[in-house]
Amino acid sequence: MGPDAVLWRPEDLMLYEYDALSSVTQPQAVVFPTSTDQVVGIVKIASQAKLPVVARGAGTGLSGGAVVTEGGIVIVTSRMKKILEIDLENRRARVQPGVVNLDLSLAVSDEGYYFAPDPSSQKACTIGGNVAENAGGPHTLAYGVTTNHVLGLEAVLPSGEVIHTGGTYWDRPGYDLTGFIVGSEGTLGIVTEITVRLCRKPEAVKTLLAVYDAVVGATRSVAAITARGITPAALEMMDGFTLRAVEEATHAGYPMDSAAVLLIEVEGLREAAEENAEAVEEVCRENCAREVRRAKSAEERDLLWRGRKNAFGALGRISPSYYVQDGVIPRTRLPEMLEFIEQVGKLHQLRIGNIFHAGDGNLHPLLMFDARDKDQSQRVLKAAEAILTKCVEMGGSITGEHGVGIEKRDLMPLIFSDDDLEMMGRLKAVFNPRGDLNPGKLLPAGRMCGELRVQVSQGGEV
Amino acid sequence: MTAAVAAAQSGLASILGAGRVVADESARAALAVDGRVPGLVVFPQSSEQVAAVLRYAGEQQLAVIPCRNATKLGVGNPPRRYDIALCLKEMNRVWHYEPADLTVSVEPGMKFGDFLHFVGRHGLWLPLDPAGGARASLGGIVATNSAGPLRLSYGAPRDMVIGMKIATSEGKIIKAGGRVVKNVAGYDMAKLLIGSFGTLGVIVELSFKLFPLPVERGTFVIPAGTLGIGRDIRRRVLESPLNPMRMVLLDAVASTLVRRGTPFAAEVKEPEIWIEFGGSGKTLDRCARELGDLGKAAGAPVQGLESASAEGVWARIGDFHGFLCEASPKVVILKVALPGAAGEEFLSRANQEAASEGIRVASFTQGGVGVIHLGLLDEAAGLVALISRLRTAAEDLGGALVVERCAPELKDRLDVWGPSGDDFCVMSKLKAVWDPKGILSPGRYVGGL
Repeated sequence: MGPDAVLWRPEDLMLYEYDALSSVTQPQAVVFPTSTDQVVGIVKIASQAKLPVVARGAGTGLSGGAVVTEGGIVIVTSRMKKILEIDLENRRARVQPGVVNLDLSLAVSDEGYYFAPDPSSQKACTIGGNVAENAGGPHTLAYGVTTNHVLGLEAVLPSGEVIHTGGTYWDRPGYDLTGFIVGSEGTLGIVTEITVRLCRKPEAVKTLLAVYDAVVGATRSVAAITARGITPAALEMMDGFTLRAVEEATHAGYPMDSAAVLLIEVEGLREAAEENAEAVEEVCRENCAREVRRAKSAEERDLLWRGRKNAFGALGRISPSYYVQDGVIPRTRLPEMLEFIEQVGKLHQLRIGNIFHAGDGNLHPLLMFDARDKDQSQRVLKAAEAILTKCVEMGGSITGEHGVGIEKRDLMPLIFSDDDLEMMGRLKAVFNPRGDLNPGKLLPAGRMCGELRVQVSQGGEV
Repeated sequence: MTAAVAAAQSGLASILGAGRVVADESARAALAVDGRVPGLVVFPQSSEQVAAVLRYAGEQQLAVIPCRNATKLGVGNPPRRYDIALCLKEMNRVWHYEPADLTVSVEPGMKFGDFLHFVGRHGLWLPLDPAGGARASLGGIVATNSAGPLRLSYGAPRDMVIGMKIATSEGKIIKAGGRVVKNVAGYDMAKLLIGSFGTLGVIVELSFKLFPLPVERGTFVIPAGTLGIGRDIRRRVLESPLNPMRMVLLDAVASTLVRRGTPFAAEVKEPEIWIEFGGSGKTLDRCARELGDLGKAAGAPVQGLESASAEGVWARIGDFHGFLCEASPKVVILKVALPGAAGEEFLSRANQEAASEGIRVASFTQGGVGVIHLGLLDEAAGLVALISRLRTAAEDLGGALVVERCAPELKDRLDVWGPSGDDFCVMSKLKAVWDPKGILSPGRYVGGL
């Protein structure tokens, strides 16, 4: 690969110790391959040396998925960033894993297409990382998460064997290995090529901001919009605390004195978008919205979204550290859940900001604290566990889009039985029999039903 | 009855009760696969019973094929062994249904038609038009990932299943996914079961995300004249802002067939594009107007159809397998999957190849999806050679061909699924994990899995 593609000095390695969640230990080496063949070579060397291998994109993950737990070699995909093929008539593209999410959309934007998964980190995160974590984003409400947009993969197995799953078309005969590898958090293989679907941009987009004096109006509106038979492209909620922080940082024009806002987007044909926007407006007013604004221009729309997408960063300005959670509940339980989160905040004496993909019940409570304060750090973990446990009790999940990683692996028994987890372990062993590919992730370390596993230490921008 | 079957009958009766283990000749014959008749048919009533049957079958080395209404049971290689037909028709319960959350959890034996009726009361649906139509069971639809033309706008079962429970060949019940619409906890085991044709485990509970029914619908027919015009119209529609729910290109034989018995019955002489939009009256007016303009530009007149009656034709298009078999009992049905843009080119080659063998064809092309079903209507000496040439044509265009229906004796002379790729070794290891004793639909899947 050449000397500039390998890092081994401790001060260089340190940069690759972290993701957006945490760090555990340093790797022995960090490498920057440019091709599948080089990845195969690295994997074979690591295998001979019995070193773990961890694949890493931009390191924007929020569950410790790309963090090294036992040393070894980190394969960074940042130099595998070629868009290999764009085929608009078939609405697909073939890319290397290091291509940045937004760059793919930009590459096809002039022709009226885009790549639908849009995590908040889309300016930095890579499509390889999106595949590993089965990433979501605000617009997955209508369009689905990463797995719904991946047709085929090339992957290097820990043995050095290269496989091609799925294809450039739907329904290639055989088990859906593509669907199984997406979301496997880099524990089954190192994905070196991805064939994705591209979506056609809608003719019209209407972006609305509904403003509430009470949180419950916002949460009720969410269920009511769905009940009207409207599937918005996005349906996001921010509580007053969060939006004040966002407004101070972004000046998006959010009302400083409200208790909650919904950011709602409807799209499609001009006629459909207009009718749905009117219907949404009506539903919000029926549920006590004091005001419903519509973005009048593309600039206004971008500003509203910039506020939402920079929200984590904005909260980082007002708190030395924060911890973002990622639970899921049935969307009709939102009002109840918000009350619960408020109580949890009071009980543990923590400020909690709420920013949700409300339309699909995916919660991102942000727990504010000071990591230098050991007691506060402990309370944050307790509070987060209480919230996740409540999600499970409501019939939900411990992660909607951030993944299990190291963070939640010991919470897996909350939702899966020993038999379920044992089967997952056996299926993993088919791909990764010695467990040296991204060790310590996704599956619980022991049988003990455990705890969140985080050194909650930073308030980094996400 | 052999001694082994008699022993199994009493063993299974102790699990299910004697009434649910049937050795009756006609019940067994109805579930024959490629001429192979099972020794017994069992009717479990719960997930636990399914698991217990599988555990017993594993211990006794009895081969099991899960089924319900047999709408897709013929797809696959002939089974290497077939002792027990595991019929899920008594598993029809709804475990969980929250219309406002757009989620539902049901047992796999529920028929698709009953299910649509059940959720339709709340203005919801599962937007699929699978083979077998209303008679198909949810379990069968998912186990075969069966999707029709609606896939253009809504996707396949793969995109709608949010969780499932699976009875394994070891007699355990495993959960994959959950009951919420967004969930990335753990490996997505459900993806492996979806489209696995009963070779990995038996799906005993399914959770789906549901969708609001379109307010109104509008169907239009465009005579395409030639495949070239068909391609032109497909491109224009897909590049326009209009979002059709579904679009099919039917050749004259196929179109005549699906129109039969509806108010639109006619002897059709040229290929037709059928296209459906959903939305408000205003949206549909716009679609009608622009589709008309688009047809004019392509030199093809567009005809709007009365929507309630058009739904009858769509039902027949979704379930064309059944109607095709009724019309020509010996029909061979091929499924070709390829990049959507290559559809017309494949059809043109297929038509030429079939004509040279003197075999008539009926073709159903899911526009924009890249799935073509070809019915070969005549028996001829060159049939196997023709299928092999069509497979080459599909592969040349970057796709694959599966023989979905043919006479059992033909299956000895051709590979139903076609060649497998460099990921086959992983598939066979996964099969060994799920089904170490090889009792589930043995030999029926890709590469003899």
